[in-house]
Amino acid sequence: MSLMDSLAAGFALVGNVEAFFMLFCGLVIGVIGGAIPGLSATMAVALTLPFTFSMAPINGILLLLGVYKGGIFGGSIPAILIKTPGTPASSATILDGYPMAERGEAGRALGMALYASCTADAVSNLALILFAGWLASFALNFGPPEFFALILFSLTIIAGVSGESLLRGALSALAGLLLATIGLDLVYGTNRFTFGDPNMMGGLNFIAVLIGLFAIPEIIAMAWNPVAHLGKTRALGKSKVTLADYIGSFKSILRGSMIGVFLGSIPGIGAAPSAFLSYSEARRTSKNKDNFGKGEIEGVAASEAGNNGVAGATLIPLLALGVPGDVITAIIIGAFMVHGLQPGPMMFILNVDIIYGLFIGLIVSSVFLLIVGSVAIRGFRFVADVPKRLLMPAVLVLCIYGVFAVNNNIFDVGVMFAMGWVGYLMMRHRIPAAPFLIAFILGPLLEDNFRQSMLMSGSDPSILMRGPITWFFWTLTFITVFAITRSTLRKRVPLS
Amino acid sequence: MRPGAFSIGAPISMTTKSLHLRIGIAAILGAAFLAAVAIPNYVSSPSNVGNIILSPVFWPYVLAGLTGIVGFGLVLTAVFSDLTVFDPRDEIAIPVGHAPWLRLAALAVIMGLVMVGLPRLGMVWTCMLAFVACAFLFRTRHPIAALVCAVVVPLLLYAFFAHVAGVAIPQGNFVRLP
Repeated sequence: MSLMDSLAAGFALVGNVEAFFMLFCGLVIGVIGGAIPGLSATMAVALTLPFTFSMAPINGILLLLGVYKGGIFGGSIPAILIKTPGTPASSATILDGYPMAERGEAGRALGMALYASCTADAVSNLALILFAGWLASFALNFGPPEFFALILFSLTIIAGVSGESLLRGALSALAGLLLATIGLDLVYGTNRFTFGDPNMMGGLNFIAVLIGLFAIPEIIAMAWNPVAHLGKTRALGKSKVTLADYIGSFKSILRGSMIGVFLGSIPGIGAAPSAFLSYSEARRTSKNKDNFGKGEIEGVAASEAGNNGVAGATLIPLLALGVPGDVITAIIIGAFMVHGLQPGPMMFILNVDIIYGLFIGLIVSSVFLLIVGSVAIRGFRFVADVPKRLLMPAVLVLCIYGVFAVNNNIFDVGVMFAMGWVGYLMMRHRIPAAPFLIAFILGPLLEDNFRQSMLMSGSDPSILMRGPITWFFWTLTFITVFAITRSTLRKRVPLS
Repeated sequence: MRPGAFSIGAPISMTTKSLHLRIGIAAILGAAFLAAVAIPNYVSSPSNVGNIILSPVFWPYVLAGLTGIVGFGLVLTAVFSDLTVFDPRDEIAIPVGHAPWLRLAALAVIMGLVMVGLPRLGMVWTCMLAFVACAFLFRTRHPIAALVCAVVVPLLLYAFFAHVAGVAIPQGNFVRLP
């Protein structure tokens, strides 16, 4: 199929009001979700997922992508106005955003955050369109040993960079892999940890696990401390962002977008490190470097460009390799699975219309984000005023309905509650949940590729290093472990 | 200090060292339990599997072994470190008094009752009760709004999932909705 044919197929799929309406709704939900501290973009995507079951695949996925992109931007609003990042990715925005708000320039900071976000989003989408297809065609050469090495590399980097400690991240990933072994064995069909319960034979439901891990712990945390969320909202002020501000920060925005694209396309790194790297690079090279941390608008631009630059790029490994780049894309992979789609190189052959439909939708999303974001900045007060002690019970009810709706099974609701307590314990012990979830998703794939490799080679493990592609991923894995261990030993405080 | 109040700066928090020690020991015990009890008893393997690498028990044993190694690593980092750094987040998070623990226990009970209530009362009524219970557990300052939301939210979700998404929402044994 030629590029024009693929584009035409994509247009045929999304060229209707419903698809764009869903994308728009997604952005609105995402911005609101991201703007409510404690709700986060991740939870917003997880809670929206059950509503997509009854939709056409493209509409459901566009809705979720809208929530994702809106959520990442939405997180900057409370970061600037109440010094509380709506999502972890917005943490760097506080550094200069809040001092600007204290000076009465919140409107200017938020305007810059919006323009930087939209620009970075567009750059990131472009990178996705350019690189995903190329990477997918390359990945068609992968066999089970190559996929095994790739997944192992992804899990290593996710475990290493998701939290403060490689060991805690590795433990989280191992727990996720162990949980993924529940169910019938992939080759022999025998029971593994099913305890004779037919509900366990298909394995634990992915959506119950993810909602349990990412939504329920927030509800439990609310029971632990019901007043933790209270904060003071700053006024927008009268000053607005100008074209001169934008042009003055354009270099940092572009650099931040590139950093976001690069880090986003590596599975596991995510938006927060990208935002901080972009911010520190902007500070290092700026002529106003002394103002950074005191309310420098270029700092806001750089951190927002860094975190939004990731949004499109995380879809590169998801679509091209079937490996989620971060937690949110891990949730989005669930939407693909629910609709019977398997992201990966074959999707570029079998479902090229959906791929190009998504590309078109993503390009439009940058424009929609500009519109939704402009309104959201003015309307934040209403969002901030939503009583969180009413919101969390509503989230609980939504979780119960959403998880039940996956398989019409009350057992899944129990799994969600159990995982909620596991997630809360992990949160309390500072064990990152992202490696757990991603390992849970990739676990069956990792084991399946390992066993296929062993079947191919007559159980000769040397097949796992059979050629340049596997060498490449093994080298990256060892470099990752070495680099993380070295940086841990150098830091010494706090311990690893 | 009143029960449930939060102490900032009190020497009651975990150090990173004790955190690693706890997690490490838990991981080692978990790995030992898996290897000695859970895998031999709850993972079935056909007797004719000639090659251990292809056996259904191989992968769980590998994971259990790695869990033990990581746990051992965590214990080692705790033992061979002279650091006793208090993490300020812990100091803020660990409260003085019983009220937070009681709220956690109450939430666990609510979750248990939801599981019992779903097939008997139906999803809508169970969720209404759970909403009210949670709102009051979280000490809401808007009791009337909580009651209104407790009725409206489950009904709206029922309308969407039952009539738009076509999900067979449990109706329970008492009051059935259209």
